[in-house]
Amino acid sequence: MIHLRFFLIFLKGSFLSFGGMGNLPILHADLVPLHFATDRQFAEALMIGQISPGPAGLWAISLGFMVDGFTGALLATAAITIPPLLIIYVQRLYRKLEHILAVEGFIRGMGLGVVGVFVVVIARLLQNGSSSWLNCFILVSAWGMLKARAPIPLILALAGIAGIVILQR
Amino acid sequence: MPENHSATEENNPSPVTSSRMWITWLRIGLNSFGGGVSTLTLIRRAMVEDLKWVSEEQFTRYWIMVQLAPGINLIALAILIGKKTGGSKGIGIALAGLLLPSVAITILFTYSYTSIRSIWWVTGALRGLSPAIVGIGLMTGMQMARPLILASRKEGLGSLIFNTMILVGSGLAMVNGKLSPAFIVLICAVAGMMGALIRGRITDSAGGSRT
Repeated sequence: MIHLRFFLIFLKGSFLSFGGMGNLPILHADLVPLHFATDRQFAEALMIGQISPGPAGLWAISLGFMVDGFTGALLATAAITIPPLLIIYVQRLYRKLEHILAVEGFIRGMGLGVVGVFVVVIARLLQNGSSSWLNCFILVSAWGMLKARAPIPLILALAGIAGIVILQR
Repeated sequence: MPENHSATEENNPSPVTSSRMWITWLRIGLNSFGGGVSTLTLIRRAMVEDLKWVSEEQFTRYWIMVQLAPGINLIALAILIGKKTGGSKGIGIALAGLLLPSVAITILFTYSYTSIRSIWWVTGALRGLSPAIVGIGLMTGMQMARPLILASRKEGLGSLIFNTMILVGSGLAMVNGKLSPAFIVLICAVAGMMGALIRGRITDSAGGSRT
């Protein structure tokens, strides 16, 4: 019944989060302490999600594959597809509630909370790897290039080349 | 039958057919290398600019709406557009078309990755990619927070300080590591709600003279 457990963990992560990477902290908290996944696998899955087509949130499918093979990938796919279906009910409520102050505040507070948690988790991914000034250089360059609206595949390609040329020595 | 006329009538939407829905969504699912940014761009280009199945204003309204649904925004966006163009069948086509190719490629990437990761140049490239992903992720975090902070600033200094405290507080709570992420987010949401209610009361009692 380990499959069911994985499915429920992924489903929980998707239900309780906004956006493609909002489920990252929850999955990290549920999978890593139980040794179902490692920090390195999280970093690798996030990277594959950024490179492959479709929403970056498909990184969870890559993680599902690492954790539980094809079954894990398919269960992760189901788990990330079900929660967004609630948009149909959100659409119905949206017109009635969008101008109510309490709702506005709730949504905003939630969004800010998600970002705060997200930033800490993503920064930790780097901390666990080898940290050097070269890593910082790549990080800041990628950040700046994205801000300048460079295409993500180009940023990733340059970072990969930098990794081969510099870090390999 | 009237399908061929659509090319000559520039401002009219192309007729919605099942086969065209399939082709459009499959093409998006296959071509959107580079994660969410390219996927959003491709969906918008196809639905708003090329096929005109969704108007510009409607697309923007959808985009705000999907921020409120749990999970991946782009999947919720595909559901909304699918529903508008073809009801339940449209939702099915949008989801299957977007996800079949992209999920297959994601699995393929993961599978081949686990078998080639020991090659020296792959190891080197990945070591360079890892900090780049962190950089992109931090940027994405800032972009997500930006509209929320800007909206707070419009409401005055008090609201700006309060909402910035929620943002920083959730980060600090996460660094502290004693609360679960979901619980931290829930506390932030309730704090945001209470902040908005208090602000509303202050504005009311001051007769709108204070902000």
